[in-house]
Order: sequence, then structure tokens, then C-alpha cells
Amino acid sequence: MTDIHKTIVVTGVGVVSPYGIGLDRLQAGMLSGKSCLERTKDEVYPGFEGTIAQIRTLPMAEDPSPRYSRTDRLAMIAAQDAMTNSGCDPSSFRESGVVMASTVGGLTEIDTSIAKDPDAFYRRPQSLLRTSSYPVAHVADAVAEHFEIRGPRCAVSVACASGAMAIALAANMLLDGAAPIILAGGSDPICPFTLSGFHSLQALDPDPCSPFDQNRKGLNLGEGSAVLVLETLAGATARHANVLAVLRGWAMTNDAFHPTAPQAEGSGLANCMHLSMQMADVTCDEIGYVNAHGTGTPLNDIAEAHAYETAFRGRSRPIPVSSTKSYFGHCLGAAGALEAAITIMAIRSGALLPTLRLTKPIESHGIDWLRGDVKRQPLPVAMSASSGFGGSNTVLIFGRGLS
Amino acid sequence: MTPNSHPVTITGIGSVSPYGPMEGLIPKLPLEPATITSWQTASQRRAFLVPPFRPAAVVPGLKTRRLDRLSAWALVASSLAIKDAGIDLTVLDRSRVAVVFATAFGCIELTEAFYLSAAANGWNGTDPITFPETLASAPASHVSMFHGLRGPNITVSNKYFAGESAIMQAACVLRHAQADVAIVLAGEALARTLFAWYEQAGLLSPACYDSNPAEGDGFIPGEGVAALVLESSARIKDRPSGRTYARITSGRWAASGHPAEIIRPNLRGSGPKLAICSGNGEPCAVSRTSSLIRETAGDDCVITSPQPFARGLAGNGALFHLILALGDLAGRPRLHEQALFLGTARDNGFAAILLELP
Repeated sequence: MTDIHKTIVVTGVGVVSPYGIGLDRLQAGMLSGKSCLERTKDEVYPGFEGTIAQIRTLPMAEDPSPRYSRTDRLAMIAAQDAMTNSGCDPSSFRESGVVMASTVGGLTEIDTSIAKDPDAFYRRPQSLLRTSSYPVAHVADAVAEHFEIRGPRCAVSVACASGAMAIALAANMLLDGAAPIILAGGSDPICPFTLSGFHSLQALDPDPCSPFDQNRKGLNLGEGSAVLVLETLAGATARHANVLAVLRGWAMTNDAFHPTAPQAEGSGLANCMHLSMQMADVTCDEIGYVNAHGTGTPLNDIAEAHAYETAFRGRSRPIPVSSTKSYFGHCLGAAGALEAAITIMAIRSGALLPTLRLTKPIESHGIDWLRGDVKRQPLPVAMSASSGFGGSNTVLIFGRGLS
Repeated sequence: MTPNSHPVTITGIGSVSPYGPMEGLIPKLPLEPATITSWQTASQRRAFLVPPFRPAAVVPGLKTRRLDRLSAWALVASSLAIKDAGIDLTVLDRSRVAVVFATAFGCIELTEAFYLSAAANGWNGTDPITFPETLASAPASHVSMFHGLRGPNITVSNKYFAGESAIMQAACVLRHAQADVAIVLAGEALARTLFAWYEQAGLLSPACYDSNPAEGDGFIPGEGVAALVLESSARIKDRPSGRTYARITSGRWAASGHPAEIIRPNLRGSGPKLAICSGNGEPCAVSRTSSLIRETAGDDCVITSPQPFARGLAGNGALFHLILALGDLAGRPRLHEQALFLGTARDNGFAAILLELP
């Protein structure tokens, strides 16, 4: 028996990605097999040559205030799209909560001169205002202030698991009655700071990445934002909202292992999957697809493959897995939210996207590495897995919306 | 947290602050801002600074050489809080221990260092060891790694109520059985770029420049990390040796709206006779916090004085406000069973946590 007060549902999805604004554009672009990863030279910073996925035009002319960073703007566009997608007027969200994730925050508005002479940097026109967007909390504030949303707001920053964790924490808050509706998601742009950081770690593939391939060389950075409209089924039913999907389970764990490397056997992520399946009350046989973290780095992908083998051990057939980072890169704090949106898209369309450029997958008997053509099948339940630096793991399980 | 939800108990406290590293409550001691020496200033600049100390001298075996000070302090504060709670981690299922950390500016010192290295060597010449340590979540990750805590590891940020939201997220995780124990931390470290921002924005108190200042608006920046150990109250019953500083029975926060209407349903019976001020706004006695306390708890509710040091923690001082207030109450006869822990911000933003003081 479904307890409608304890069932969390998704009633809107908003996305801005290198494919454009909206889930429809994302879906059309990905189903066509188009990759947004492009070679670039000296564009993000002098001396950088590599592959990234950028959003070329950012349509936000109505509020050009310098107090909003690029991270804020992406989040505001995705939130607007989520509210439109939910079929409700923004005024319906007045008492809602906002939980937004980011790792970059306002770093986009700062350059290296700040470290040499901060006073001189701040005296530059609008510099003080622009740097006020530095704390990641500003992303949640920007969304809430722009749409006059006055419920509880919070930002989450747990490296690359941030976006998924924002959704998990929002679900917790809904169960607690903290707000009737919560806009939850993540936003991160490409900026010199993070690109330089991953470059210094030698974690970047200079060419378009090949997650889960035996010859994978690293990740590519992308940018974007996704926001989900979450509420209880009771709330959604009361306002006759269109339920797009049910968030059936969520879990968070930590590897407690290393600042940048995952635990080699993927035990933390596997445990996270177990816990989320327990919460969703599903067996590993019932999960029809996993949207993987799949960054394309040698260490992540092998640990993640081990995690799937552990979590889905005993399953009657291999678990279908793909990494959609092969389409538009790793969007860091937005990745988990974007991949949650893609997982919901897969459930609604029954289209399982393959990993691009996967020619020689990591050997595994328990995993059905999706590659080649789009696989079409009914998909009642699917999982989205996210991990990040510092060992953070978050797993979300979505199910079909209720009629 | 709704009023009917299961309470959680604060069983351990640890901190690193201008008072130094400390296990348990912070005794009421006078505190003066110290002169900044970490970077060159044109004339005297003062702030509530953490005095230098060797983390390994406080927590044997701790290695913090390449870490941001915020991460090092989080490690020390969490260790002291766990010790204060009397928890033996070797007999605990550490996959059931969560870490929830709140910060506004994160590891700003190493972020500054990363920018400096980019300025000196170009963006292609930055340091790979420094980069992961600039992440806002690095302190929480180090706490998990050092103690082997494999439960949820969460880093949150909130403009005015970061500490309060960390407490409420941790309570949420405990009540939904996603963990049995939660280490809640909140803190900031002061760096040159942050101090300069405050200064250029005109936010600083005259006391930042003069030990005998003229009266004026503004705050004195501070630094430090506070840690609380939260456990489900049911778990405490099974652990009679466990200390109880306070029980958290409910909590709500919002960015605007009608705070009194939201807080009132959370109060039980006759309402609290004690209010502990949080937030980083004006002194409680003259602020909207005071008005809201009067509106919700009545005129005879005693209001604790604000903590100037905790006001300097970028909206992240809640844990210190609470620890200092509990320390202040420690030696007195306990007249108050229920306390309202309340912070307010502009536009009617608030965070309200209802406490039971045993």
C-alpha cells in the first residue's frame, strides 16, 4: 500500500545543457547520437588544449545583474524550465524550498589577480558585487530570490556527487514536512579553476572520453544545470500535478578511503546501491537500467564496475549500464542532477542510451555495457549512481509515474 | 523536523576556536580580537583568530601538513567531540556514522594558494595536491577518512543559517535511519582575500582596527570549527554512560514568509522560557530575533546574550552560539527545560530549533 505522504514524486524537470534548454532538446540530441564534446584551444584559458562541452549561448537577458555568476544563471534557467515543465505558474512555488548543488559557485567571477592584490581586485568596477557570488550558497539564493521562493534553502557541495545528493536531501526534507515542494538540482559551469585542477591531476582525456572502455584515458568537463520539482504524492495529487516519476529510493555513503581515488573494489558505492534498493523495496532484478557515474578515468570506471558486480550479484541477467558523460562531459556538481533527469527520461521513453565510443568494454560477466544503438524496452525502475572526490557516493532510484 | 518526530540528542562537543582546541563546553572567558600577522597589512588589522597549535599534539597520529587549516580544524574538532561523547569508534558500525559539515567559504586559504600558483605559473602550472584540498567538502571528507566513517558525508552552505541547516540535515538523516550517529561540524577560516572583501564592502567593526575603538557598526571576522555529536535518543537509552547536552525536538527554517506562524506549532505546552540567539545579524536585544522571540514565546522569555566571536563566522556561527550559550548556562541552576535556538536574517528569514535541556 503506497503511503502518499511518504512517497516522493517528480512533477517537473528542467535542464540546460550543451544541447540547449529543456529535456526535449536533451532527449532529441542524445537519441540522435550527437556528442557535444569539442576540441578547444586557448579558449577557457591560455595554454589549455583539450576537449570540453560548452553551452555557447546563455539566454538570460532579463536580469543581467553582475551579482549572478554563470553558475547562478545556469541554475536559474534550469529552475525556470522545471517550473514551466511542471505546468505551474512560478507563484505556485512561493512556499517551496530550494536545494541546489554546485562545486564551482562563483569561481567563474574571479581571476588570478585576486591572489596577488585582493584590494586592487575588489576596487575594479562591479568586482565586489560579482565576487559576492563566491559561496556555493549563492546558487540556492539566486534561484530562490529570482523566483521569489521563500521556503527553506540550502546549497550542497560534495564534489561530483553534489547534484544527486541535493535531490536526496530534498527528499529527506519533504518527508519531514520542511516545505510542500522543493526545487532540487545542481549547476556547474566550465571555469579555468576546475579545468586547471583536473588538468594538473592528469585526469583529462585530450580527446572525447570513452567511459568504461579498456583504453579510456580520462574525463572531459562539461557544463549545465538540472532542477527537479519534488513533492510528496499527497501534495501532487491534491494539486492534480502530472507525476513524471517516483523517487523510490535514495542513499548516501562515503568510501572513507582517499581524497581523490575511489575505493578500488567500489565497496562504498556498492553499499550505497544496496541501501537505495532496500529503501526502494526493489530487488536487483527489478532495476532495468543504471545511468552510471562513468567519468572515463582509469580508477573510477574499474572501481565502479566492481561496485555493479557486487551490488547486482545474483541477478538473473547482466545489468544494463551506460555513461551519458560520453555525450556532454562531466558537469561536476550538476552531473548527478542531469543524470537523474536522463534516468527519468529513459523511464518515460523506454529508450536506453548507449555509452558513446565504447569499443572494448571492461570485462565483466555481470554488466551489459550498452553501446551501439539505442536499446528500447519498457523500463519500470532505473538507477542513477554518482560518486565524487573525497569518497562521496549517492544513488537515486526512480520508478514510473503513477497514472 | 516536525514536532512529532523522534528527538535526537547532542552527546558530544569539540571545537577549535580563538579559545584554542577544546573538548566539551567552552568556559566563559573574555576574548579579545588578535592582530593579524599571516599577511602584511598597511596598519593594524584584528580578528578573532585561532591561535597556532600543532594538531598532532591534540590528536595523536593526525597528519595535516598539506591540508587547509579548515580541514585540520575539522579533524581536531571532530576527534574532540567524539571523545567527549565517550564513543568508542572501534566497536561502532562506522558505516552508520554520518558527517554533516557547514561552511560558507570553504577551504579559502588553499583556494587562494591555488590562484597564486596559477598567477605565478599559468593555469597549466597549478599544483595537483592542492586542487582537491580546495573543495568545500574536503574537511568533511578528511573527517570520514581519518575516523573511517562510511555513512552519509554531506557538506552544506547557507547564507545565514549554515550551522542550523547542518544540524537539521543531520537530525533528518538520523530520524530516517540513514545513520545512527552524526558528527555535525560548522566553521570558517580567515584568509587575506576574505578579510579584504569584508573591508572593501564596509562590513567591519572599528574594533578590527583599534583596541580602543569608537562605537560603530560592523562585525569582527572570526575563525574556527565547532563539532557536535548527534545521536538518536533511542540509542542514548541503550548507552547509559552517554552525556546529554540537549535534545533537539524540532526545527524549521525558511528564507522569508511568516516565521511566527511557522514556529508556533513547533512549541510545546507553555513554550520556551529561554531563547538562545543565533544568526549573524544585529545583537539579539535590538534585533528582529528579539521581536520574534517575544512574538512566539512571550515577554518573560529570557534571551541569552549574543556571542560576538560567533557573529564573525559568515553566517556559520550557530554551533558556537549554541556551545557558548550552553557553557554560560552550565554553572547555573537549570530553570529552563525548553529552549528556542533562533536566528533571523533580513526579509524574515529564520532558523528555529527547539531544544530540551535535561
